[in-house]
Amino acid sequence: MTRFPDTRGSLVAAVKSGDGEARARALETLAEAYWKPVYTYVRLKAGREHDEAADLTQEFFARLVEKEWLERFDPSKARLRTYLRVLVDGLVANEWKARNRLKRGGGISVLSLDFETVRREVEERSGEGELSPEDFFEKEWVRSVFSMAVERFDERCTADGHALRFALFSAYDLEGDAAVERPRYEDLARRFETSAVDVTNQLAAARRDFRRILLDLLRELTVSDAEFRAEARALLGVEPPA
Amino acid sequence: MRLKDAALDRLRDAVRTPDLSGTRYRLVGPIGRGGMGAVFEVEDEVLKRRLAVKVVEVPFDGESPAEALLSEARVLARLEHPGLVPVHDAGRLPDGRAFYAMKLVQGERLDAALARLTTLPERLRLFLRVCEPVAFAHANGVIHRDLKPSNVMVGPFGEVLVLDWGLARSLEARELGDASGTPGFMAPEQAAAGPVDARADVYGLGALLDAMLRVAPAPPRPKALVAIVARATAAERDERYPDVLALAADVTRLLDGERVEAHAEGPLERAGRLVRRHRVAVGLVAAYLLTRGLFILLRR
Amino acid sequence: MNKVLLGLLVGAGLGALDGLTAWFTPEARSEIAGIVMGSTFKGLVAGVLIGLFARKVESMPATLIFGTALGLLFAYFIARMQGKYYFEIMLPGAIVGLLTGYATARYGRRARPAEA
Repeated sequence: MTRFPDTRGSLVAAVKSGDGEARARALETLAEAYWKPVYTYVRLKAGREHDEAADLTQEFFARLVEKEWLERFDPSKARLRTYLRVLVDGLVANEWKARNRLKRGGGISVLSLDFETVRREVEERSGEGELSPEDFFEKEWVRSVFSMAVERFDERCTADGHALRFALFSAYDLEGDAAVERPRYEDLARRFETSAVDVTNQLAAARRDFRRILLDLLRELTVSDAEFRAEARALLGVEPPA
Repeated sequence: MRLKDAALDRLRDAVRTPDLSGTRYRLVGPIGRGGMGAVFEVEDEVLKRRLAVKVVEVPFDGESPAEALLSEARVLARLEHPGLVPVHDAGRLPDGRAFYAMKLVQGERLDAALARLTTLPERLRLFLRVCEPVAFAHANGVIHRDLKPSNVMVGPFGEVLVLDWGLARSLEARELGDASGTPGFMAPEQAAAGPVDARADVYGLGALLDAMLRVAPAPPRPKALVAIVARATAAERDERYPDVLALAADVTRLLDGERVEAHAEGPLERAGRLVRRHRVAVGLVAAYLLTRGLFILLRR
Repeated sequence: MNKVLLGLLVGAGLGALDGLTAWFTPEARSEIAGIVMGSTFKGLVAGVLIGLFARKVESMPATLIFGTALGLLFAYFIARMQGKYYFEIMLPGAIVGLLTGYATARYGRRARPAEA
């Protein structure tokens, strides 16, 4: 379950801080953003089977807390995402077996890691071969960040009494495949018993709010302005200026 | 939750699309990506005309990209020239992103235009039209710093527009630069983040001319033209043309068959140039001599 | 240089050169001085007329046609005086007229508009 941080500070700063509660929350958020990319990466790059990859993923986050790897992160040298990926490489190379998993508290309390869903997708995709493991890592990271933003947006709408806003947003932007045409505003108006004008306004507001939440989340996951901008481009699939 | 690829694409698109609610503009569709921003076609609902709106690409409220975009708008707004896109509006969108609205440019990119213009004189004349707005900007104290083929458009009537003044700087500002620009078209002093002046744009134009001459079918390059490009793109800025007008003047001299400053021609070359320049007269004299000579020979 | 003066100089010059080519005809060699003077004068007159035409008409095609026609005409008179070598005299004469016309139209300074 995600929680809204009280400040918009960087998660890495929160992890390094002395505040236990902030640290715990920050680690949870980091884990939520990165566990799927890590799992996918371990499966594809290291070629591990599902069970071992799942164990290694849990292992990685446990070590992240125990070894305080984030303390050594230097944002001027690399992006956080790259740093974490390199740490995964190191972990895999050192052949930590599942039975060496250390059970320590004080870091990640409950991680509901739904490995099965990700497993299926990885196994479907690994045959395709167009993307490298590093690209998969990035793609899964993008997916995780957007998913987290959607969840936060949902919670925010519920808290603020804007349930209709999220419902319309979900119906218009989340549902359906690429092949299916998006619903018309008039159809949505009928479905949710409101006017087309209201649908237009709600969707505009929804996108504005979602954008803000997404970028706030990204701010937490990055350390510097430069990293934020670079990661924003990656997140939004934008080419850097020519 | 796990988002499907389709949903992810839609969300990305939604985040990138500018929020025009409450403005006088209605979104028509994306046009493309400029130096630091994305460009969209919009309809001005008040004046009922189509415009282009450039928006900060990465949508956040950090100051520097927004200020840079607005600074670009101000540069364009103060330079009124047929070769520069007029700016109509600038400000912030409801989502906080900086934007400016400008004339919607209809036309083709330079490389597409060059595919049609196959002769050297045609390409050189087009190049001279690119020099005009740049020289104008210099006369008004502004250097472009990012001249390259993708920043030039050719309109339906042959008019040339120089776009993307996102890296433009005031000539008065003597502070050190920031190494922004495009490799291959960026003057060495600019790449080294040193102070730049109008000669940085001379370099850019020289590199642009070189690129224009390489587009297939590439016309042959006379030595004088090679010398012009070499001088314009000299690594040392003191060895370049002092300004855009000097470069344009030399290109004009080349087009007129006159001697160019950048190239010291030998006597044979000079003779060849004069013959080419006055080929009709030379041809008529040759015809006369041939006729006379033939009659003399026939008499014998 | 204005068109009339240019026409005069080019016409006279070409006329002189044209006259000098008579040296290649042995039977005409003895009268070469007279031929050159006559040819020069002919070229001068034709050149002035072509220059005047070029200044008045300001059209390259028209001046070329006029120059050719005048050169042909003058050359015809010369040939008639000889009674022979019509083609040999008239063809080069036409080219010289054409050359003079081209020179005045191309290189002559355009007349300034009259002061108001």
